[in-house]
Amino acid sequence: MRIIDVHTHPIFFRKGATPKEVAALVAQSRALGIRHMVSLGDVLVHGTHPTAAQVTAMNDMNAKLQAWHPDFFSSFCFLNPVLGERAVMKEVERCVTRYGFKGIKLEISNNARDACMKPVMAAARRFGLVVLQHSWSMVNLKLRRFHSDPIDTAQLARRHPDVKIIMAHLTGIGFRGVLEAKGCDNLFVDTSGGYPEEGLVEYAAEQLGADHVLYGSDLPIRENSVTIGRILGARISAADKRLMLHDNTARLLNLN
Amino acid sequence: MLIDSNVNLGPWPFSPIPEYTGPQLAAHLAATGIRRALVSDLRAVFLPDPMPANRRLFAAVKRTPALLPVPILNPALRPWREQLDECIKAAPIRAVKICPNYHNYSLGAAHLDEFVAALSAAKLKLVLNVRLEDERHKYFALRIKGVAVADIGAFLQRFRSQHILLSGIYKPDLEKLAPSHANFSADIAFCEWINTLEALLEKIPANRLFLGTCTPLLSTRGQVDKLVRARIPARAKKLIGSENARRFFGL
Repeated sequence: MRIIDVHTHPIFFRKGATPKEVAALVAQSRALGIRHMVSLGDVLVHGTHPTAAQVTAMNDMNAKLQAWHPDFFSSFCFLNPVLGERAVMKEVERCVTRYGFKGIKLEISNNARDACMKPVMAAARRFGLVVLQHSWSMVNLKLRRFHSDPIDTAQLARRHPDVKIIMAHLTGIGFRGVLEAKGCDNLFVDTSGGYPEEGLVEYAAEQLGADHVLYGSDLPIRENSVTIGRILGARISAADKRLMLHDNTARLLNLN
Repeated sequence: MLIDSNVNLGPWPFSPIPEYTGPQLAAHLAATGIRRALVSDLRAVFLPDPMPANRRLFAAVKRTPALLPVPILNPALRPWREQLDECIKAAPIRAVKICPNYHNYSLGAAHLDEFVAALSAAKLKLVLNVRLEDERHKYFALRIKGVAVADIGAFLQRFRSQHILLSGIYKPDLEKLAPSHANFSADIAFCEWINTLEALLEKIPANRLFLGTCTPLLSTRGQVDKLVRARIPARAKKLIGSENARRFFGL
């Protein structure tokens, strides 16, 4: 089965950044059936609130991965929305026009419901980019000021129905997160985040439709063999597995 | 052939996991290559007296030789000795599991001296459950943490003559304990990072790691693929996948 991984951090706290390490990762991933990876960057290497220069450096690192293996890596433009409209627009324009980045990655600089998201969504709209928003249930983690609960990400998607949004971390958002995402056609959920809890993949397919669930690993925090095996072992049809593992992301990012 | 050291039957109140019968569970495991499994009943985690769950477990696996029952006992309950005797008489058990975080006692409790001695006298292995869930995803009212690594270290130090199987330990905690304690093995159910086993084998030898899937709370296929698709020597895979469990549990 051909696989596209929509949620990876091939360089993580600066580890894995050499050409040799990246080539090994590509070869290893291909052996597992992964034909393409979306690199979201080394998102926490400068903490939760990187400066504009640090954001640029992180995106340049992503661009380097793409240049080394253009057929294997696509990248999303990492942003710190708190830096404001000018910085956001400038960085998105640079990453799209210079490198052909396919989406925007948002981590934990702010909550998805904050006003600073407006220019981010305007940039996504202007350049036709998908937005991948870090999301995690804040029921047990009291960090909602800058982490987005699935309620917040779903609200973002409802406020901007013309922008395609990926709510990250199926395992982190849990069953409640799936219900929050339900009924929002521009909102997709990726399967990354946490140990491979049983039943969630099936539940997401049932509630959202398999066409709204995207395979993501969160590599290197997780292991591809586990995250792929979780979908291959799920009690869903082979056609739904194919959608999740490949076709949905291929369509969303025009990777065919 | 794989042996899974961390499998459960029964419902879990906080997520809609499959509730298998013994034969259904054996068939589910066999589909991923697991031919034998050490099985406990999840009801024993929450019941004030774990014995009804253990009796249910013995009945459920009685005619399914692939499933070997591992009763869960609570040594903080006064009649644990009678309950242990009942388990020994009821089924050919090889080990007993304890869940100190769910059963509300400390690993430093004095009564564990007698309990561990009784297991040893009965030639039974001790499985220490560290966790069953990622703490971040627990039901909001269930304020139970995994067993603290310092407490596990002190426990291993206290029972130096016993070799204990840790079930559900996180990878960083396992790596922390491995250099200073030789008297434990661990299942890999809650160990995950890129190239998990390659990384673990740098810190702990293959003869101390066991395949554990934590079925049905975690995805069996995903957990099995962690081992089957790992880029480690075939000998290490065999040890982790079956030989260590075979030796430890005397199968």
